[in-house]
Amino acid sequence: MSPRSRRIALGSLGAVALVAAAALSAGNDAAFTSTAGLGDADGAQIYSHICQGCHMAQGQGAVGAGYYPELAGDRSLASWRYIALTVLDGRNGMPPFGLPSSQAWEIRAAHLSDAQVADVVNYVRTHFGNHYQGTVSAAQVAALPHPGIGGAH
Amino acid sequence: MTADNTARPIPTRRDLLRMIGLTAGGAAMYQAMSALGFAAESPYRGPIDLRGAPRGASVLILGAGMAGMTAAYELRNAGYHVQVLEYNPRAGGRNWSLRGGDVYTELGGATQHCRFDDGLYINPGPWRIPYHHRGLLGYCRRLGVALEAFVQVNYNAYLHSSSAFGGRPRRYREIKGDYQGHVAELLAKVVRQSALDVSVSKEDQERLLESLRDWGALDGNYAYTAGEPSSRRRGYEKNPGGGLSARPVPSNPIGLSDILESGLWQGVAAGDDFDMQTTLFEPVGGMGRIGEAFGRELGSIIRYDAKVVSIHQDAAGVSVAYQDRTNPGSGHLTARADWCVCTIPLPILAEIPMNVGAPMRAAIAAVPYAAAVKVGLQFKRRFWEEDEAIYGGITYTDLPITNIGYPNTGYQSPGKGVLLGAYIWGLNAMEFTAMAPQERVQRAVDYGARIHPQYHHEFDNGIAVAWHRSPFTMGCFGMWSPESRARHYDDLCRIDGRIALAGEHASYIGGWQEGAVTSALDAISRLHRLAVAQGEKA
Repeated sequence: MSPRSRRIALGSLGAVALVAAAALSAGNDAAFTSTAGLGDADGAQIYSHICQGCHMAQGQGAVGAGYYPELAGDRSLASWRYIALTVLDGRNGMPPFGLPSSQAWEIRAAHLSDAQVADVVNYVRTHFGNHYQGTVSAAQVAALPHPGIGGAH
Repeated sequence: MTADNTARPIPTRRDLLRMIGLTAGGAAMYQAMSALGFAAESPYRGPIDLRGAPRGASVLILGAGMAGMTAAYELRNAGYHVQVLEYNPRAGGRNWSLRGGDVYTELGGATQHCRFDDGLYINPGPWRIPYHHRGLLGYCRRLGVALEAFVQVNYNAYLHSSSAFGGRPRRYREIKGDYQGHVAELLAKVVRQSALDVSVSKEDQERLLESLRDWGALDGNYAYTAGEPSSRRRGYEKNPGGGLSARPVPSNPIGLSDILESGLWQGVAAGDDFDMQTTLFEPVGGMGRIGEAFGRELGSIIRYDAKVVSIHQDAAGVSVAYQDRTNPGSGHLTARADWCVCTIPLPILAEIPMNVGAPMRAAIAAVPYAAAVKVGLQFKRRFWEEDEAIYGGITYTDLPITNIGYPNTGYQSPGKGVLLGAYIWGLNAMEFTAMAPQERVQRAVDYGARIHPQYHHEFDNGIAVAWHRSPFTMGCFGMWSPESRARHYDDLCRIDGRIALAGEHASYIGGWQEGAVTSALDAISRLHRLAVAQGEKA
């Protein structure tokens, strides 16, 4: 079989691709969330497993040739909508987390449920010295445009 | 062979894709799944022709990675006045090897001191060069960078599933031989039951049967059984030898059902993709040798430790403000040229003020960068060679480390050895990125010990690079989706006034150095035509 036909054959699997992966049969390891939508990880877990890779443990961000924004004291967090859209769509190289699972894997990103997006948005708005008012719900996140084919654009 | 298909997890399609992704470097999996999945041979057709450069014309190049240095080398040779600004104190960018004595500070401030022995290294970025990446290979030749073979497929390395065969790894030759043998036997049965009479002529059925016996190592009855033919593929229980102990003992194939249930068949095609086919290469001494050779060749053209602060074009040229990182208290310096080739990775470029049009601006902001992590582990001895006869190549596993890469050089050397102990993508890479470097190393050791029990006893030291923490890229490489590529790719590549972008992110060979090389050659060809046209007007 030629590489081309093989790739095309594989392409058809995309839509169902992400279902498994809790499999991370390493899965017995509590330190690793499942790749199937991160299981039931909550906002704090999502922050410490994913977000802090760039935004750092205390939300302090980092500066090199470019920078990762500081979340501590970040005024843009006043708008839950702005932060939720950033998590859903990504921004300037930040991967999107609102893609459907199948499409998330295509670009090696990860999928968060609307409830998880809400939870992590609530987390960053109320930690690192932030005290923004108002709790965001999964329904509010669900009402926002989502990226990807078949998203709510 | 077990008949109980429900007792164990059935390998899922995602596992398959995962394995392909791990098999492939960079974007191969993404390409396999996207509509863009064609096996594109590099468009490189030999050294570029840039004759006729206008007298005195100048080009400022941002970034001394593969794209920037390709552009600098060719434009300089064509007679342009060239200056390169580079953030790091070294040339190469992601073309990079970590060796003993190197110090690496990632974003967030964690500093690692590489304590590998002399001559040992890991390549945190690219580590293999396909034979058809002729642009990059051409520069290796012109720069005198010696190459050696990169082993993609090692028949004696492992395929490992933590949920199959009691968590014990199997040799690649066993899985490949048995999978192929069983498939050949089944197809031979179909032929002999005349099930193909309609679609295959009698003569072709005879040939097909013969080819199946040959391809699948079947016995005289077209069966895949324990015996000489199958052992010649999968290995013997006791190898043939000399003298009185010479007689070989054949091995027993794994049953088809067990192979299928294990999911390890997903690793069989690891070397079949165009990007992974023999022959692959690596530079002798580490991938970083290419960047180092480019850096030596370009010499003082490159200004190191220069952090670009802003990029501004006007009717006559391009001015770039930058900061000397070795003198942080000083003010901004300015470099100016007629034209600019900007190879700064997009997450960084998106944050730098630059007066280009809205289409290029939108394109720059549209490309997420992949998370990827590599961990290098030094061990007190080359136990994988001494104990397990694994010389080079890659073991694939469903553990989060996903790869163990064995050194394709220095075989049978006494002393210590360095493995690539993890090469991780996706969510697991994000999770490893979020850890402190020493925890990444510790976890790579713990997971790897499930495959090589020698790990804990032989481990010496390690170093871990998480690409989202890389101060000079903020990610591994640009991940185009089919939609974003359709909407933004041409706008990213199209020259805006006097500014051309180049890099793997401006290519269809994303995540590969050849993408950087060919994108640079494409960009400077277009820039050269503009410069010549303007020179004629002047």
